[in-house]
Amino acid sequence: MTYQKLKSNFLFAFYFVVLIFAFCFLNFKVSAQELSLGISPPLLEIVIKPNKSIMVAYKIDNYADPVIARAKILPFEPLGNQGNIKIAKDFSGPVRFSLDNSDLDLEKPFFMKTRESKQLLLRMRLPEGTPDGDYYYTLLIETEPPPTVDGSTGGRAKGTIGANILITVTGSGMTEISGKIVLFDVISKFKPFGWKIFDSNAKIPVVLNVQNNGKNMIKAEGEIVLNGNFGEKATYQIPAQNILAQSQRLVFATPSAEINQPTSLVLSGFFLGKYKLAASLNIGESLTPLTASTSFVALPFRWIIGLIFALIISLILIKRLSRNEDEDEA
Amino acid sequence: MTYQKLKSNFLFAFYFVVLIFAFCFLNSVEAINMESSRYRIQFGNIGIGGDNLTSDDIRLTTSLGQLAANRFDSDGYVVKAGFQYIHSIIPFRFSISKTNIDFGSLIPNTPSEVASILSVSFGGAGQYQVTAVEEGPLQTMSGTFIPDTLCNGGKNTCDEVTPKLWDSNRAYGFGYTMDVGGKDIPESFISCYKTSGNKSCYRPFPDRLQPTPETPAIVMSSPNVGRNKQATIKFKVNIGPAQTTGSYQTIINFVATPTY
Repeated sequence: MTYQKLKSNFLFAFYFVVLIFAFCFLNFKVSAQELSLGISPPLLEIVIKPNKSIMVAYKIDNYADPVIARAKILPFEPLGNQGNIKIAKDFSGPVRFSLDNSDLDLEKPFFMKTRESKQLLLRMRLPEGTPDGDYYYTLLIETEPPPTVDGSTGGRAKGTIGANILITVTGSGMTEISGKIVLFDVISKFKPFGWKIFDSNAKIPVVLNVQNNGKNMIKAEGEIVLNGNFGEKATYQIPAQNILAQSQRLVFATPSAEINQPTSLVLSGFFLGKYKLAASLNIGESLTPLTASTSFVALPFRWIIGLIFALIISLILIKRLSRNEDEDEA
Repeated sequence: MTYQKLKSNFLFAFYFVVLIFAFCFLNSVEAINMESSRYRIQFGNIGIGGDNLTSDDIRLTTSLGQLAANRFDSDGYVVKAGFQYIHSIIPFRFSISKTNIDFGSLIPNTPSEVASILSVSFGGAGQYQVTAVEEGPLQTMSGTFIPDTLCNGGKNTCDEVTPKLWDSNRAYGFGYTMDVGGKDIPESFISCYKTSGNKSCYRPFPDRLQPTPETPAIVMSSPNVGRNKQATIKFKVNIGPAQTTGSYQTIINFVATPTY
């Protein structure tokens, strides 16, 4: 065999192996997901004067099949007290939104390939004379549903992903901040004479509701401090959470846990005696913190029942063993 | 009985009781976790290259490795972008595993179900929500429609908020259930499942095209951070013998938003 033939055979074998290798190992993971979108940043907070304009860049990622999407802006209002929102059907409000992208516009469809990222340059303009106050919007990236399958019955799901925009308009630079703790308590099912009593091992749910009475949103952060009779003390941080104007919110402390009902904090461990809980929330740098306190009593009911049970069993055992001994002696 | 025997019996009984007591009450194992259900310590922001750049008019704070979360001060506005300064490496992401909910050809009195998985990755303080709303009932081009389900009816009559048992083949309509094994699903599905003898409960979708548009229903919601939190939604349809033949279609809109 000549050198040339050897070389060509070797190259053929080499390419063949490379092909098999690529086929076996480089088959990029194909996801079964048909729709998967990401958005960043998910939250935008703006304090702005009227007659000003700003531009913010959003990154939209398509992780799944190609989609036709469109961007739109709708106002929202808070729903309930747990941070949920209700998006309005139609646009309203004084803020003027547009896209600075040359090839994209709001409400106009655009195409996104698999694994494609797009940058949306969102411009917000506050016309002169915009009244002071808060305006809340959601930037929505809405996809087109898949085409209809002829002859069959079914639904077509379309996915929309959103990012919230909180705009505070102030001509003077001053905002109206007015907050109040409307509820700070432990949720107890056993409350004789107003005492909130728990078993020593029970999980103790704590709720902290804050009302914003002002025209502008407030950012509440602080702590809940637990003090026991024997000098024990624990501090639970409340990370910054927005409370929108004229709304109420259940603020979460950390660490938290999930139980059957919405709570700010769940205390767990072994408690004995009377405990005091104090909440302190800062809602503005120069404002007096909001404070509230409550208390509860923890008693080892399970241990007491267990001890009574153990005593009864021990008495029965002693009596039975003593009787057996007496019978043996007799 | 001698004193010694009484003493040994008492000791035997005492140790026996202590053993039972310890077995019954001291069997819990506590572990200290380095994470909670809401927050996890993580490297959200590597500060290499981060800098504060200032001029007479503008102050710009930059940092490397940060996902678009930033703060700018300038004359006339302040912008804060990101998850409330809890810089997270988990971006907000929403996925639907199946967007074509094909029931095929429907047979009267034979319920048909299609499942799809909703997934959310969420890394911020506060809360996220996924809502669902239908754009009209399942209907043909001519306007004949399959009504939204009322579930079994009677005491098991469901609505857009309250799920109820729907296991009768004689109860017709279109609705959905959230699988109780899923993450962050509404509590109403779980409580109904428990009270219905571990059977799935259903409810109809709110209708956006009603004269007074109905409020979208929350199908997933949680304040806890996490990657790829999944819940299965099962769409169900059942028709009666009198239902006109045709291709019935609707659009279900899922909207995922982080909180404020």
